[in-house]
Amino acid sequence: MAPHKLAALYSDLQKAFDAHPCDIKRCGSLLGQLKIGLIQAGLLLPSGEHKLEDLVVARDILEIGAFWSIRAKDVPSFDRYFSQLQTFYTDYSSVLPPSKREFPIRGLNLIRLLTQNRIADFHTTLESLPLPADEINENPYLRHPVNLERWLMEGSYSKVWNARAEAPAEEYKFFVDSLMGTIRNEIASCEETAYESLPLKDAATLLFFTSKSDLLRFAEKRGWEVNLTAATITFARKSEENMEIPKQKLIAANLAYARELEQIV
Amino acid sequence: MPDVEMKAADKAKGDKKDEKKDEKKKEEEEKVVVKPPPTPAAEIKSNVALIERGVATMEPRFTHRVLRTLTALRKRADDKVLRDVIEELYPKAGPVKDSLLSWLPPAGPADHSMDVDPAPTPTKTATPEPVPEGEIYLRLQMIHNMHKSPETYKKSIELSHETVDKMQALNRRSMDPIAAKLWYALERSYELGGQLADARPRFLAAQRTASLRHDDETQASLINRLLRSYVSYSMYDQADKLVSKTTFPTSAGNPQFARYHYYLGRIKAVQLNYSEAHTNLQQAIRRAPPAKTAPGFYQAVHKFFVVVELLMGEIPDRGIFRHPVLEKALNAYFEIVKAVRTGSLSQFQTTLSKHAAQFEADKTYTLIVRLRQNVIKTGIRRLSLAYSRIALRDICVKLHLDSEEDAEYIVGKAIRDGVIEGRIVHESGWMECGAQKGGYGPEVGDVFSRRIGYCLELHNESVKAMRYPLNAHRKELAAAEGARERERELAKEIEEGDLDDDEGLGGDF
Repeated sequence: MAPHKLAALYSDLQKAFDAHPCDIKRCGSLLGQLKIGLIQAGLLLPSGEHKLEDLVVARDILEIGAFWSIRAKDVPSFDRYFSQLQTFYTDYSSVLPPSKREFPIRGLNLIRLLTQNRIADFHTTLESLPLPADEINENPYLRHPVNLERWLMEGSYSKVWNARAEAPAEEYKFFVDSLMGTIRNEIASCEETAYESLPLKDAATLLFFTSKSDLLRFAEKRGWEVNLTAATITFARKSEENMEIPKQKLIAANLAYARELEQIV
Repeated sequence: MPDVEMKAADKAKGDKKDEKKDEKKKEEEEKVVVKPPPTPAAEIKSNVALIERGVATMEPRFTHRVLRTLTALRKRADDKVLRDVIEELYPKAGPVKDSLLSWLPPAGPADHSMDVDPAPTPTKTATPEPVPEGEIYLRLQMIHNMHKSPETYKKSIELSHETVDKMQALNRRSMDPIAAKLWYALERSYELGGQLADARPRFLAAQRTASLRHDDETQASLINRLLRSYVSYSMYDQADKLVSKTTFPTSAGNPQFARYHYYLGRIKAVQLNYSEAHTNLQQAIRRAPPAKTAPGFYQAVHKFFVVVELLMGEIPDRGIFRHPVLEKALNAYFEIVKAVRTGSLSQFQTTLSKHAAQFEADKTYTLIVRLRQNVIKTGIRRLSLAYSRIALRDICVKLHLDSEEDAEYIVGKAIRDGVIEGRIVHESGWMECGAQKGGYGPEVGDVFSRRIGYCLELHNESVKAMRYPLNAHRKELAAAEGARERERELAKEIEEGDLDDDEGLGGDF
């Protein structure tokens, strides 16, 4: 593909991406063509020497791609774009001018890990951010996921719920819904062990349900006993785990000791 | 084991200080002319001789013995000492001598006048040149010598490159123990020069070669080099992949194992795998040399150890904080422990912000931030032990939580995570605390069997680790043969002398 054609496609993509509302279909097809172009130019996963402007353009295209995948609700594709961007963010960080989209994308990636409940990955990624810890707290894009994680770990679910509106960028809202699903399940599992029974109304507020039918559907899914006349939910107590002596294990261990002792004596 | 000089950030500082002190001391020594038993030059020379013996007898033990003294010796060696040693070991001018000398600064005129006198003496014996291992050992000393002052950092990188190339070209198995040390020196050169990341491809390539050759020593050293490089650049992902793709050679020395466990502990801690991090760090502490010989490493490991222990919900032993080596270094951590122990969020926050700079430097900041939830959990646990029933509002006040609603969620989560036994009565808005679990059950047996397993393994390992000198049994056989011979003679004598002895004896009786 000729370079000028690539440039034309790139400006097309920018226009389509910045348009309100964003033309998702068109962006997708343009991105596909551009990626082929990048591969032909050896810029998708750059190695060696390249012109600085080319690298910036390649990074821009991938960044738009990452945002586009979120808008198109395609998380695996976001994942791919993000790993391709890693090269630009880490290996070329000293050469390239910083991108204003870098931290929003890093923040989005953190939220993605959070919604997929990959907490260990979340922390590894956080640890490898090229910022000192106090700057993470300053950066609005990063502060958001970091706070969310902390609240989730603490159990301050209401704070997570309230933080929905404070998303620093449009794209963050996409993850909010799936995050809500995650915390609802978390809360439900807490309630199962922490309560014997709960009034329907209180259960609804605890789980952030506004309508009763939503709650009933949720209760059914988790297999809770709903008493409609008394308007309470009773949680099936997990029966005390019966203490059984692990015979097999003990026998095996004792035989092993005997063998070892025989070797010593 | 004085050869673990650990290289955590604060230790690097400590190193420099030590070196400075050493230099000062040396100057003083030169003025006062004290006579330390063997001079460094003599020691290096005897070490080269030992290496030769090791190479000749194919017994790596001698080489190891030499390398054990490396750290102590390198503090006392300087340009002049090295020059003297080279002059004496290589009496004839040759390519090896020239290349070695070219790395040392030209000797001053004072040196020459001293050299002139002893010069005629060594000519009497045309000693053969030392083996290549000896040369590499000398180069190693020179690299370490260059690390002493910032001006020679660049030069040390060049020298270590040349030395590594040379070593790889020679490709001798007897070189392996020295090679492991050399890689360390190369890393140190790069690090001091501030370009640690650039050395990574080189380490990776060398690691592959070493593992193909089953060169355990070098492999262990290189894995640690790589891990260190990854961890210091916060590339925990890559470090974790390296760990999962390689097997750390079991025959590696304790110092290498200590380092390996330390890095492993750090990686696991970042990945929230605290129990494993705890075991690794504990291993690192146990395998590390005594606190006095390598205080830097001891402190660095303990910093992480304390934090990980806290993250596991345990309170570290108070004795740690009174240890003479650790007391000062762990002061900030002690305050954190106090805050966690009392379960006071406000105290925790103030301590955190007060010592933020230190935690940042120790790279423990992000781990400590995670402690916030533990502070809350400890608080709840204390409350659950003290009260059989407590209102959510009171929990909220006591733990400085933002709202009662939060308190309810937090308590619920604590119950689910098994931090406390109890339940919430929503209608009355309180928490009822249940009885604690008894201390008997299958888990006790598990712990017991784990300990027994450990003891048995220790016994087996020590049996395996016993060393017997090569061919020593022959001597013993010969001795036994001799003894038997003597016995036979004795028996014969007795037989022969029986008759006349009998008389004598009989007479006596």
